[in-house]
Amino acid sequence: MDLRPAEVTSILEKEIASYQGGRDMQSVGTVLTVGDGVARVWGLDDCMMNELLEFGGGVRGIALNLEEDNVGCVLLGDSAKVKEGDQVKTTGRIISVPTGPALLGRVVNALGDPIDGRGPLAVTEADYLPIDQPAPSVVERQGVDTPMQTGIKSIDAMIPIGRGQRELIIGDRQTGKTALLIDSIISQKTTGGGDPNNPDQVLCIYVAMGQKQSTVVDLVQRLTAVGAMEYTIVVSASAIDEASMQYLAAYAGCSMGERFRDEGRDVLIVYDDLYKQALAYRQVMLLLRRPPGREAFPGDVFNLHSRLLERAARLADNAPEINPRYKKGGGSLTALPVVETQENDVSAYIPTNVISITDGQIFLESSLFNAGIRPAVNAGISVSRVGGAAQTKGMKKIAGGMRLDLAQYRELQAFAQFGSDLDKATQRTLARGERLTEILKQDQYVPMPFQDQIMIIYAGTCGALDDVATKSIREFEKIFLQHMADSHPEIGEGIRTSGVLSDEAKVTIDQAIAAVKPQVTG
Amino acid sequence: MIDPVTSRYANALFSLAMGRGVLDAVSADVERLAREVGAPGVGDFYFDARVSIDARRLKIASVTQSMHELTKNFVNLLFDKRREEVLRNLSAAFHQRALDERGAAEGIVESARALGAGEIASLATAFGAELGKRVTLENKVTDDVLGGVRVIVGSQMIDRSLRGRLDGLKKKLGTAALPSLSEQ
Repeated sequence: MDLRPAEVTSILEKEIASYQGGRDMQSVGTVLTVGDGVARVWGLDDCMMNELLEFGGGVRGIALNLEEDNVGCVLLGDSAKVKEGDQVKTTGRIISVPTGPALLGRVVNALGDPIDGRGPLAVTEADYLPIDQPAPSVVERQGVDTPMQTGIKSIDAMIPIGRGQRELIIGDRQTGKTALLIDSIISQKTTGGGDPNNPDQVLCIYVAMGQKQSTVVDLVQRLTAVGAMEYTIVVSASAIDEASMQYLAAYAGCSMGERFRDEGRDVLIVYDDLYKQALAYRQVMLLLRRPPGREAFPGDVFNLHSRLLERAARLADNAPEINPRYKKGGGSLTALPVVETQENDVSAYIPTNVISITDGQIFLESSLFNAGIRPAVNAGISVSRVGGAAQTKGMKKIAGGMRLDLAQYRELQAFAQFGSDLDKATQRTLARGERLTEILKQDQYVPMPFQDQIMIIYAGTCGALDDVATKSIREFEKIFLQHMADSHPEIGEGIRTSGVLSDEAKVTIDQAIAAVKPQVTG
Repeated sequence: MIDPVTSRYANALFSLAMGRGVLDAVSADVERLAREVGAPGVGDFYFDARVSIDARRLKIASVTQSMHELTKNFVNLLFDKRREEVLRNLSAAFHQRALDERGAAEGIVESARALGAGEIASLATAFGAELGKRVTLENKVTDDVLGGVRVIVGSQMIDRSLRGRLDGLKKKLGTAALPSLSEQ
């Protein structure tokens, strides 16, 4: 694209005019030491906590340690460009990032600078918000009562997530954590047709911290391919970026989400992952010589995560009357933080911290994953503490029965190998459990609308599938849902609009099951 | 750059000397000490870890014997507490404290050409009003500023130089949103 010379001149004029008008007393300091991405600066008497500093060579930094005679700061760029004795200036600005609709569909770094090669962001000075903002107070919030559909059967049915909730995704490496998050983002397309201007569209933010760059590229390509990138912002601080960027990315992403939340929109933010963020924070804090605590993490590592996750909230409808910061009430920010565990150890330091902050956790287990149960959600120890209130009535009723069936199945699972030696009731419970487990399996990147989920789970819990072979269940699901969509589209539509499964609909579904069963092989 | 330990020792000596009305004598002593430890070839001896502390003490005692009682005690205390390093910047810290006491500050004004005494004085008055102190400025001529002046007092700076303005403009242009892109 060609630059129009007049535009550049007009900027010049504006900049020159405003430059001369401003008050220009600055606080300056001198670099004492620099290395490992941190610097100590002498002087800077009026420096603020978290203030953006300017070093020579265009490198920026943030003041994190204000001490008696020096300031400890992290560098947000190439530390090779900073030398001892360099002059450092304060900017009078707390570190902030651009926010707003201009970022949707873009990939940015922790400072909000675009890194997708698609040119600068169309944002103004007013779009910049500090990355650390106070969480909404008690009176500015309201209870979680609207479901956030992830499109994943096992989650929407048994561990429902509500808008404004914080639900931890926890599990070892290679258990499908990121896949689950991508599915959730893709699933949000159903809320507003993928049009970011539609006020019903849930906007998504994916914050990658310490991830491989190839993972981020994969994710962006995948989201673009299914048309989910239009309503998504990707904040990337991958493994190659400075530790400071990796730990700040979460707050930057959160501020971008808050902007939409405060304008009354619903936002889903994913932090992938908070364990690596804590490692980056530990590195920076040890280099700044803050005293190490347990596992060498600094003492405020709990606060690091709690102040981030507290910003997820469902705003009250009258929030703008209480605090003018909110433009419109009723918005929400739903957080799905991820924590990677080692050897399924959920009792390690960071996992226990985050479990205690969040409103529940979804536990992904490698043994289930390897047994072919994907998504590998361990329904036994996964919980959602507030999502139940947000679940639709129809789903709540059906899923309640499934929870019970599955719990009984798990109790008896150890006896499964005795086969026909068992009494009839036990055999029935085992058969039901096996089929329900099969129903909960789902392929990657194909989130299921909740009306389809209700229909197939109803089919499983009503016992109609007990005589269908376990290996044919997924084939049945496919034919059954196709049949329902072709022959009885009004049933799905009815569930979608009313949220309940009526008795008449049940009769139609029972008939459909009977009609589909003979088509299933085996 | 004065480290906090030095300023604390200097402050203690200063207020004690002022309280007893012997500030002039002690100030002169401090200047003499600064010359002694700063003398090429000789000064480093006092901070040389290979030399025993007693030998260093003996040598400094020969310098301080004609000094005021307070200064003698001060130097002895430094060696007792193994803080002989304080002597390096003592004079600067002492001077700084004296300036603070008078509500004064010293700074530099950088310019591309040498400034006249009147110009420096008016700059000092203007800057002093901003800081609430009586400011004395020293002129430093450097080509780097290109034009205009840059005044630095302590950790406060007013950059009215051409170089500073160009840098600021460069930075602002780098971050300004282009109207042609926002219209997309």
